[in-house]
Amino acid sequence: MKLEEIARELGLSELTPQVAGNSDAEIARGYASDLLSDVLAHAPEGGVLVTLQVHLNVIAVASHAELAAVIFAGNRRPEDDVLAKAAAEGISLYVSPADTFDIVGRLYALGVKGNHA
Amino acid sequence: MEHLTYDIRSGDFNGAGAASRDLKHHLKRIGAESDSVRRAMIAAYEAEMNVVIHADGGRLEATVSDGQLDVDVVDRGPGIPDIPRAMHEGFSTASSEARALGFGAGMGLPNIERNADRIRVTSTVGEGTRVSFSVMLRPEAADQGARPSSLGTVPELCRDCRHCLVACPTAAVRVHDARPSVMDHVCIDCTCCIAACAPGALTMLDAPGELTGDGGVLAVPPALLAGFGEHPAGTVLDELHGLGFSEVVSVHPYEDALRRDVLDRAATGEGPAPVISPVCPAVVNLIEVRFPALVKHLAPLASPWEALQRDLGERDATFAVSCPSQRTALLSQQPTAQRQTVTVRLVREALLPRLAARRPAPGDGAPRPQAAGADDLLVVSGVSHVLAVLEEIEDGQLGGVTAVEPYICDGGCFGSPLLAEDAFVAAWRWAASAGDASDGGHSLERSRPFRARPGIRLDADMAVAIRKLAQLDAETTALPGKDCGVCGAPTCAALAEDIVMERASQALCPYVKTEEGTAS
Repeated sequence: MKLEEIARELGLSELTPQVAGNSDAEIARGYASDLLSDVLAHAPEGGVLVTLQVHLNVIAVASHAELAAVIFAGNRRPEDDVLAKAAAEGISLYVSPADTFDIVGRLYALGVKGNHA
Repeated sequence: MEHLTYDIRSGDFNGAGAASRDLKHHLKRIGAESDSVRRAMIAAYEAEMNVVIHADGGRLEATVSDGQLDVDVVDRGPGIPDIPRAMHEGFSTASSEARALGFGAGMGLPNIERNADRIRVTSTVGEGTRVSFSVMLRPEAADQGARPSSLGTVPELCRDCRHCLVACPTAAVRVHDARPSVMDHVCIDCTCCIAACAPGALTMLDAPGELTGDGGVLAVPPALLAGFGEHPAGTVLDELHGLGFSEVVSVHPYEDALRRDVLDRAATGEGPAPVISPVCPAVVNLIEVRFPALVKHLAPLASPWEALQRDLGERDATFAVSCPSQRTALLSQQPTAQRQTVTVRLVREALLPRLAARRPAPGDGAPRPQAAGADDLLVVSGVSHVLAVLEEIEDGQLGGVTAVEPYICDGGCFGSPLLAEDAFVAAWRWAASAGDASDGGHSLERSRPFRARPGIRLDADMAVAIRKLAQLDAETTALPGKDCGVCGAPTCAALAEDIVMERASQALCPYVKTEEGTAS
C-alpha cells in the first residue's frame, strides 16, 4: 500500500510535506520499537517505523536502516531540527494521537506486515 | 588504501552518526554494493554510539582496502569487565540519559557482530575499550565503461575559448593545446558543447558528401519541417520528396504516441512517480550517468526515432536527426537494412536552393490539435532546467507531477544547435501549420533495459578505486579551488580526477608551486 494511502486511512498528520517523492512509496513492511539498536537490527529496508522516540537520533537510525517513514505515536511531536534533518534524508514523518498498539493494528489490517509474516 | 579518522565526543548524542555518514559517502564512491554499505553503516553507527554513551571520548579509524572495510574504534573509558557478557543481547550498563533516548538496550555489540563479517573486542578496565570489525565489500553491478558516441571534433577549428568546458553537464570535455577532446565514458551525447562552440570544433558526426535519395525513405523531425520561414510543412515535404526519396516521413506521430504511452503509464499509478519519458536519448544518458537512482523512473520505451526505425523494417532509409544522441540510439538498434543518419543541417542545406525558387504559400490546413492529456505533463527543456528538475525528483521534492518529458536542448528538439531557426519560432510555426494527423505512430517497448553507468566510478576494480579515492582527496586539497579552466579541465575537482586517472599532471595548474618553482 502506498504511504499516502496509509496516511489517509490512519488519519495521520504529515510533518514533512516537503518530502513529496515518498508519498508514492509502496510500504509492505513495518516495525515498532523504542529501542534504537533494536530498530537498526530489525527494521525492514524501505519500511515504516512506529515509535515514541522523537529526538534527532531517530532520524540517523532511520537513515542507516533505510526506512521510508516514521510514525510518532501518542501525539509526540519532534522539534523543528528533527523535521529538517528528516527532510534532508528523504524520510517522511507522521504523527498520530493513537498509541503504538492501535497504530500497528491498523497498519496490519491494511496489509503492512512484520519481518516474518 | 584509504584511511579516515574521526574523533567522537562523549555524550554528544546530536553529533553522533557523523562519522558513519561520511564513511557511507566514501563507500558509495568506490562502487561498493548497497547491502554491504548498509551493514557497514549499522556496525559503525553502533560503535560510534558506544563511545558517546559509555566513554570519555574516543576515535573511529576506518581503513578501506582491497575488498574490505576495517574499522577500529578506540575509547578512553571504564572498559568492559566481562566481554562475553557484554556481547550477550540485553546486557547494558548505559546511563538513564542514554536509555531515555532509546539506547542502552544491550544490543550495540551484538548488532555490530551481526552486521560485521569479523569482530574483535579488547578492553582494560579503567582504561578503555577497542572494538575492531571488518565488513567485506562487494562491488555493485553496473554496465562497464564507454558507450558509442556520435560527437565529433574538428580540432583545427578550435580557438581555445574553452566555453565548451563549462557547457558540458557531465564535465566530459577537456581542451589541451587548443585541441578539444571528449571522454566517452561520461559523455551523454548531447548538444551542449556543440551549442557552446562558435567555430564548430565540436560537432556531430555526419555522413560525408552530398545528400542523395536513391529511392529510399527519408525520416525527418518536425523541427526541420518548420524551419524554413513561411514555407509550410507541406511544401517542405514536397521538396524533400524531390531530392530523390521514395517517401518522406516525419517522426512526430511517434513522438505523440510515446507521449500518450507515458501518460497512460503515469495514470495507472504503478511504479515510482513521476514517470520520466525517454523521448530525449541525451537525457536518458544523463540519468544513467549522473542520476542512477532515477533509472527506475524512466518508462521502459524506445525513443520515437527508434520506434520509427523498427517500423521501416527492411526498407532502406536515411534519418535526418538533430543531435548526436539520436544518431547513436539509431545505430545501437543494429538495423538490418541499409541505414544512414545525417544531420538536419545537411538536409536543410540541400533543400535551401530548391525552396528559394518557390514563393511561400499560405498554410495548408487547420492548427494541429494538442496531444490528449497534455495538461498532466511537465515538459522541461534546456540542460540547466533538466538538471534542476532531475535533482528535485531525486530529492523527492517534485510533488504533484505524474509525468515528465525532459529535453536537453532549450525548446526541445526545435532548439537543436544544428538547426538555423530559433526554437520558439519553429515550434510556433509547427503548431500553427497543418502537419499531418498525429495517428499512425506507436510506442515501442525497449529490448534492453535502462541501466546505471558507473561514469563517476573511479575504477571498475574496487580495490583500485579505493586507492584512487585516497589520491583524489590529496590532489583536490593541493589545488587552489579557483575552477579557472586554464589547465584545460572545467574545475579543480575535474583536474584532480584527471591526475588520479593519469590523464593529466598537476603541472598544468598555474597556481600550484612545484619543486622547481611556480609552474605557469
